[in-house]
Amino acid sequence: MKHITSGTILVTSLLTSAAFASDVYGPYPVTLKGYSGDATNSVSYSGQVGRQLLHNSLKKAISNGAPMNELKAYFNGSDSELPLLDPVSSADFKVDVSNINDVSKTNLAGKAYGGVINGWPGGMTGKEVLLSMIERAAQTENGYDAKHGHDYAQLVSKFTMGAVFYHQACDNYLDEKLEADNKPNNKPYNDKSGTYYTGKEHSWDEGFGYWGAAAHGATLSARQNYDIAKKKDMAASDANGDGVVNLKSEMNYAHSYYASAYDKGGVTDYYNTITKAFIDGRQIITDANGEALSDSARSDLKAKARIICSNWEKVIAESVFKYAGSVYSSLEALKEKPGDEALKRKYAKYWGELAGFSLSLHTSGQNLGELGTRIDRLVGFGPVVNGSKVTGVGPGGNYFVMAEANADKEMVHMLKLQKLMVDEFGVTAKNNDKLAGIANISEVLGAGDSAEND
Amino acid sequence: MGEVLEFFQSDIVGQFLNPRRRLFWGYLISALIIAILWLCIIKKKKIRQALRTIFDRSVWLSKSSRADMVCFIINRIFMVICRPILITQIFIATALYHTLHLQQIIPIGLFETAPVWLSTLLFTSFFFLLDDFSRFALHLALHKVPSLWEFHKFHHSAETLTPLTVTRTHPVEAILFTLRSAIVQGGTIAIFIFLFGQQLSLFTILGVNVFVVLFHGLGSNLRHSHISVSYPNVIENCLMSPAQHHLHHSSSQKHFDKNFGVALSIWDKMAGSFMYSSDKKLIFGIGSETEEYTQTIAHMYFVPIKKVWDRLWRHTYGNKCLLRISSTPHKKLMNFWRKYNVTDF
Repeated sequence: MKHITSGTILVTSLLTSAAFASDVYGPYPVTLKGYSGDATNSVSYSGQVGRQLLHNSLKKAISNGAPMNELKAYFNGSDSELPLLDPVSSADFKVDVSNINDVSKTNLAGKAYGGVINGWPGGMTGKEVLLSMIERAAQTENGYDAKHGHDYAQLVSKFTMGAVFYHQACDNYLDEKLEADNKPNNKPYNDKSGTYYTGKEHSWDEGFGYWGAAAHGATLSARQNYDIAKKKDMAASDANGDGVVNLKSEMNYAHSYYASAYDKGGVTDYYNTITKAFIDGRQIITDANGEALSDSARSDLKAKARIICSNWEKVIAESVFKYAGSVYSSLEALKEKPGDEALKRKYAKYWGELAGFSLSLHTSGQNLGELGTRIDRLVGFGPVVNGSKVTGVGPGGNYFVMAEANADKEMVHMLKLQKLMVDEFGVTAKNNDKLAGIANISEVLGAGDSAEND
Repeated sequence: MGEVLEFFQSDIVGQFLNPRRRLFWGYLISALIIAILWLCIIKKKKIRQALRTIFDRSVWLSKSSRADMVCFIINRIFMVICRPILITQIFIATALYHTLHLQQIIPIGLFETAPVWLSTLLFTSFFFLLDDFSRFALHLALHKVPSLWEFHKFHHSAETLTPLTVTRTHPVEAILFTLRSAIVQGGTIAIFIFLFGQQLSLFTILGVNVFVVLFHGLGSNLRHSHISVSYPNVIENCLMSPAQHHLHHSSSQKHFDKNFGVALSIWDKMAGSFMYSSDKKLIFGIGSETEEYTQTIAHMYFVPIKKVWDRLWRHTYGNKCLLRISSTPHKKLMNFWRKYNVTDF
């Protein structure tokens, strides 16, 4: 009996730890053939974490009113020390980094989307749009252009998440780098001496780094993941219990944070769906044990990549939906109090978030075609400020402004945008739903498709 | 196979399980109880006699009733196929809601500060009135416009009435009723949400519009039955009794074009088509045309189409108006009565 009990406990504990381990990204063994170094864990995505920190700090620097050289240092990278502005240690939330270059000496500019972004004036590439926004931000007070209603901290932040992180993951590492002849699994990722990971291992890890989830995030609740990103839950964040948050693996960044924000509503499960697909995919690569991936394994890996990118796109679409609702509410409030400066500021903030997310939808390498044009036109180039809005940009960089912009039309645009996100991207969390009343009442009344007479 | 099973579950069985539908089992049971009480208390029948009357085989298994069952299945299939292309109330509500934003006369959220109970009361009442009126108006049109009457004969060709007769509807008419519902629902929702805000609600019982539950729970299924439950005149002046609707189905000339209303009879009062219920034995159907329209199920569906096509043809080549408003839509039926010198039963 004693044997049975202890055996049961052993099996149960093994099963439990196996189940737990399968929900954590790493560590994974070194499988690279011929490697003779000391590394035992092949996971590496410090470059991506470095970019997450550059993004966070760039946003903070813009809102702090930092000068141009400082903003560009976060965008282009710098050889000298780059102070981490967010997240910074506090009494309740201690982090292990204060200089971004200690994590990785990297930059955002070199990885930004190179395709043309039609949703922003000037016909610029994604990288040029970001640079132009940063330059304009430096000319404003704390990144806010009151005349045109542009909140550059929000615009730069939200578009960086798309133009760098989403773009790099879904248009590069989870796209062409999954082909057999690109970064094969039976060769090191690069020719540098000491490389301890294979081509496919590192490609996949880099994709995960851009996603921005904590390695143990899939073992936590949506609320915990949300609170980690908000620096409110040290206990949940500190997975190894060393009393400090390791920013390489114990923090949630960027779109993974937004996923947890929607998931805590209980309708969606984006965070876990994407993170677990990354974990499953990494296991497929690890199981190949340093050999080239078979066609079947690559096919499975591509299926995981599709899950990741389709859900990632939905997270961005949920954000467009949410901020379209926020912009609508702001316009509604401004109709009541047209001169309220605080409301105008809030409106600009929401519009900046909306525009940044909607522009991001164009950066995955998938041409949205007519849908993309519709989204761009509904969002426009700027919010309605004192009855006018930006319609384009001249050769000298000055914005063209339409004098008689109609706030009512903008409100309708936001409603159409929300409907478009539901119809075309299938969003379901639907935060700030401005058509919820219609849907709710319609549901109670019931569909009228009845072959009934009276 | 799975799709067929799903169709059977959701669109056939579902009709009897959904409290928004008239054929919901709960409403059928309440109609049965009302019928028993009516026969036992008002008509002084014993319970066994009452049950024998209610479950009269000559009614439930008649040729007309069997045709109702077949039509019920065919129409459900038709609606499943058509559903994706039919305009929905959400589409109309959204489009109208957008349009309302662009007008400058009434500001959005004009009554947003009104108490929820008041907006709920106003919405529920307004919707009930508009919905009932629109049913009346469409029903009137189905009788008064000759081409529509051809399709509506499908329903009136029933010679025995059972609750299933409510679904004995030509697909063209089913589409019209669906559009009516979408327009009324969509229009009301958009206007009220624009005025009262997103928190708009509806008085419900078990999640269903309170008026729907009351109308169906109080015996709407007896409108198509052989149990002529009538109300005192003072009530029939406002509410349409089942017996008043039976009179609407009567093939007697003096009952033509009477009692188009559904829940309320006030619309008929206003339109001059009101008539109190009668104790007299009624014969249902469309007289001499019944045979032509109900020879087979296929006749029921295709004869109206052929008739309207012929009418269209005559209109095009014979210079006659297709949508001429007729005061005597039952012309053929009347000729039949005149021929055989029958004036009443």
